[in-house]
Amino acid sequence: MKRRVAITGIGLVSPHGDMPEGFFDALLAGRSAITLWDEGDAPAAAVARAPFDQARWFTRLQLAGVDRVSQIAVAAAQMAREDAGIDVLDASTGVYVGTGMGGAHAVEESFRSHYGSGRVPPLSVPAFMPNAPAAHVAMREKLHGPVYTYSIACASSAVALAEAAKAIAYGDIDCALAGGSEALLVPGAIRAWHALHTLARVDGEPSRACRPFSADRTGLVLGEGAAFLLLEAYDDALARGARIYAEFAGSGVSCDATHLTKPDAVGQVKAMTAALRNSGLVPCDVGYCNAHGTATAIGDVVECAALERVWGDAIGNLAVSSTKSMHGHLLGAAGALEAVVTVLAIHRAAVPPNMHCDEQDPECRITLVREPGHAIPVLNAAISNSFAFGGTNTTLVFKRAI
Amino acid sequence: MTTLEQLTQMLHDKFDIEKSSLQPDLPLAEYGLDSLALAELLFTIEEEFDVKFPDRPENIDTLTALAVAIDQLRASQPV
Repeated sequence: MKRRVAITGIGLVSPHGDMPEGFFDALLAGRSAITLWDEGDAPAAAVARAPFDQARWFTRLQLAGVDRVSQIAVAAAQMAREDAGIDVLDASTGVYVGTGMGGAHAVEESFRSHYGSGRVPPLSVPAFMPNAPAAHVAMREKLHGPVYTYSIACASSAVALAEAAKAIAYGDIDCALAGGSEALLVPGAIRAWHALHTLARVDGEPSRACRPFSADRTGLVLGEGAAFLLLEAYDDALARGARIYAEFAGSGVSCDATHLTKPDAVGQVKAMTAALRNSGLVPCDVGYCNAHGTATAIGDVVECAALERVWGDAIGNLAVSSTKSMHGHLLGAAGALEAVVTVLAIHRAAVPPNMHCDEQDPECRITLVREPGHAIPVLNAAISNSFAFGGTNTTLVFKRAI
Repeated sequence: MTTLEQLTQMLHDKFDIEKSSLQPDLPLAEYGLDSLALAELLFTIEEEFDVKFPDRPENIDTLTALAVAIDQLRASQPV
């Protein structure tokens, strides 16, 4: 017997700050947080940095061996718990974290030291290991339940959320802090992404560099940040009188198994179809899709083809936007941040726009949300897509809390 | 400045530990330094004092013990 799952807390360290409502308001208003990176010895790139004051969360002593990716995870997870109105979590609570790269700053520093002085900082390994963010969240929150890390490129935190919700639905745990963290804005990582020819071209207006579904899109924009949701059994949330943002209705996962980096509509259709089935919904129940929409030439077209195939004639009624146009691509944290967007869209009955698309690519036959501050009278259900390098596709489904 | 004073200053600069609170013979764990923070500290000491600890140093858990070890290393490792 599956239990219903409620989302009762949101915490984030995002390019638009760390207040969930402020973050959502900025997106509704169409404000881009993307700026120019011209530091260090990497090619100029448009990036979305997340403002973060580490002194608010850590003493200098506590920071020994704690990479930025773990720092922002600890902060976001704690804010999610506080937002849920919980002072102390039960020790059996699970921690489910997605990250693509882990501690990129520590990786960068260790290689720089290796090729420079030859003296590598002794805490490099515990700082850059991919499961460090989850471990730090568990230590800070004193949680002894399942503490898992998912590293599935751009689907990492979407899978983390899906797995956490399943664990609650099937009664393995009653509560979870689930989300993702990514902090790889360092010269070496930026140069590596640049070399893959996936990054948006830098022109006169860095804030408009990410243009999903636009005919003139040139690629993705790297972003950093962390986002966590507090998930709990729906009946528990009702019993304690918690504010329920939305119901975590279900998820679907598939793998293309065709190409390491090229997306495939067949695989994406499988994930979306499975997600709808798992949620007990049909396409016309869903009013909004927060698209994966990275603004690469092929990715956007393939996602639209997959959406068209699943939605069929109803595709015109599905409002779609890629908020990456404003917060960039948070890679391992993207699924969690965009789950926050989708959940708040339901909670606020408003959908954020897809910015910087002056002329929609005719190959992308979807109904884009074009105007900022777009209210939807009734938004009963919405989905968030995350499609990863490696071929793993994840669709999360959320429903209005009733 | 004595080695002990230098160490006290370093702990303050690196970990924000109040200098007046540091007592030479109190175990460093009392100030919240765990094994990882100690490893980080030893690395910084090697950089700052230009010494090399032979191996994982044992029985160094106070500022006094650290200062003695550093002075011995400096005496035995001519620059």
